[in-house]
Amino acid sequence: MRDWKFSVNSGFLGRRRDRFTEYQPDRTLEEKFKLIEKIDGIDGIELKYPLDLKDLPLAKRLLKESGLICSAINVDIKDAAFFRYGALSAQSKEARDRAASLLREGMDIASELGAGLVTTCPLADGYDYPFQIDYASAWGRFIETVKEVVSYRNDVRLALEFQPHEPHAKIMLSNVGKVLHVCTEVGLPNLGANLDIGHSFAAGESPAESAALLRGKGRLFYIHTNDNTGEGGDWDMISGTVHFWHWFELLYTLDRVGYDGWFGGDVSPKHFGPTEAYDTNTRMIQRMIELLKRMEPEKITALVNKDGGIAETFNYLSQCLVGKL
Amino acid sequence: MNKLAIITAFLGAVKNRYMSYQEDRTLDEKFLMASKVEGIDGLELCYPADFEDLKKLKELLKQYNFGISAINFRSRRTGKWWRGSFTSESLSEQKEFIDEVKRAMDAAVELDCYRITTCPLNDGSDYLFEMDYIKAYDYAAETFSAACAHNRQVRVCIEYKESDPCARCLFGNVGETASFCQMVGADNLGVTLDIGHALYTGERPAQSAVLLANAKRLFYVHLNDNDGRWDWDMLPGAYHMWEFIELFYYLRQLGYNDDWYAFDVFPKEIDTVDTFKAVVVLTRKLETLTDRIDPKKMESLLEKRNPTKTIPYLYSLL
Repeated sequence: MRDWKFSVNSGFLGRRRDRFTEYQPDRTLEEKFKLIEKIDGIDGIELKYPLDLKDLPLAKRLLKESGLICSAINVDIKDAAFFRYGALSAQSKEARDRAASLLREGMDIASELGAGLVTTCPLADGYDYPFQIDYASAWGRFIETVKEVVSYRNDVRLALEFQPHEPHAKIMLSNVGKVLHVCTEVGLPNLGANLDIGHSFAAGESPAESAALLRGKGRLFYIHTNDNTGEGGDWDMISGTVHFWHWFELLYTLDRVGYDGWFGGDVSPKHFGPTEAYDTNTRMIQRMIELLKRMEPEKITALVNKDGGIAETFNYLSQCLVGKL
Repeated sequence: MNKLAIITAFLGAVKNRYMSYQEDRTLDEKFLMASKVEGIDGLELCYPADFEDLKKLKELLKQYNFGISAINFRSRRTGKWWRGSFTSESLSEQKEFIDEVKRAMDAAVELDCYRITTCPLNDGSDYLFEMDYIKAYDYAAETFSAACAHNRQVRVCIEYKESDPCARCLFGNVGETASFCQMVGADNLGVTLDIGHALYTGERPAQSAVLLANAKRLFYVHLNDNDGRWDWDMLPGAYHMWEFIELFYYLRQLGYNDDWYAFDVFPKEIDTVDTFKAVVVLTRKLETLTDRIDPKKMESLLEKRNPTKTIPYLYSLL
């Protein structure tokens, strides 16, 4: 089995809120780095742009002092003030230009901080009602803007993160198929996906399948680790707490298809706090990997490749968990 | 005909985990905004937010001649009651919480309103093995019993919701909530049927209304719509036009026709007054369509149970 590196999405280290309440205090960048130092097994940090990177020398110094690697720059293009009617797909050229320039700035910073990767979740590009947007032209603009961004420099990769909904009832980039479609349309090798496992569950997918599809086309650039209940709510829960077997299948598949990127933790600390959230999230994944090693992935492969062998497969898997009964 | 109310929380700033929409508004501004919406008869007031100055609140109600559909008791507070509001296991929190509920009930009576509604959003869990369900239902029964006993004239309504902000709320659907009310047994404990909540938990709102009415627990109705996947608080009928017509048809049969509909619709990027103007127009239009259903004809169609006759009849009314 491969050894994957783990990072934490800094967006979850400060103040958080939902529609009704706020959780956790605001924290400075120094405090966010200090929090990560307390968590075992974390090698990197995913930094938010613009929020965390108003003072670039400070970010550089903190990275150096902590020994953490910048795993990705997460560019925020959903600001309600500018992107009220879309960002990448907006009718307003001003809004599209602003989104593109934020992403380009993010690419420059990603290069400077050695991450070489920008990730963004285009949540401003969506709609609530039927007849609200003109899909054909909106998709045309979306693809054009993405093409413009990734053409800016070929030494930094852009990972698009799909999400089925929120804050709009429908997000344009809502599933793995649409990401692959955008990659094909744009046709440049530095465009790919950030597969957020919870978003994939919320979209009704089996993340292992999505990962295999993306990797097959050379587009699996980054992964956000989390879980949820699968009814559509993006709860950002600790990985494997709900979809135990699906998470297993995902890890098995990632090893099999040779994913060599990061595991970016994307877990909501709610009221129990970020240290415990990320400590547990990392440990859960590491333990699942250990368990997979014991299960001998090549044996799983042999079982999976037998048509009609699902009973035998689960007999084997469950026996590995609890022994013979 | 049912009167129409706006929930005051939707007249100011609204937010989700990513965005804030609209601006914070004072109580004066909220009343002024509601008054610009033609066809609005009153407000559902939020406790404690709207009750900082009771005298002022009374003056505003008088000045604008607004009725009160209900008092919405907010059971969440930032930074406290993380272990549950109605289901808290801490004695001191239980006391603090029930005292707060009683104050809200007293405030309602002071305004001559005999209905409080609450969505127990704090009572639920994210993870498996996070909440002891056995204890949680017991604590909830104790808290609601105490509230109902405080003043039997005040109807206490539980607004169920499947999730958000918890991955699973304790009161998630119509069956769970109706049976809980019956288990507690107080006659003044019932349900607020929020149509959006019913839709995204997979219910047919008309069916839920009938179940609640049969259990004598249909106390109040909130109108809004969504895509069936999440609680988007959208314009009624934007997604589920026929579901609303079926609901209205049955609400009339059940005698819920001289009461209130309260709106929780999220104004988001669209102007708040424009949003609620559309809400009023759409609600009344959906009622007009419902009026076109001839009850005798529908009765005979329902007897036949033949959708090849019923659905074309419904479309003939458009």
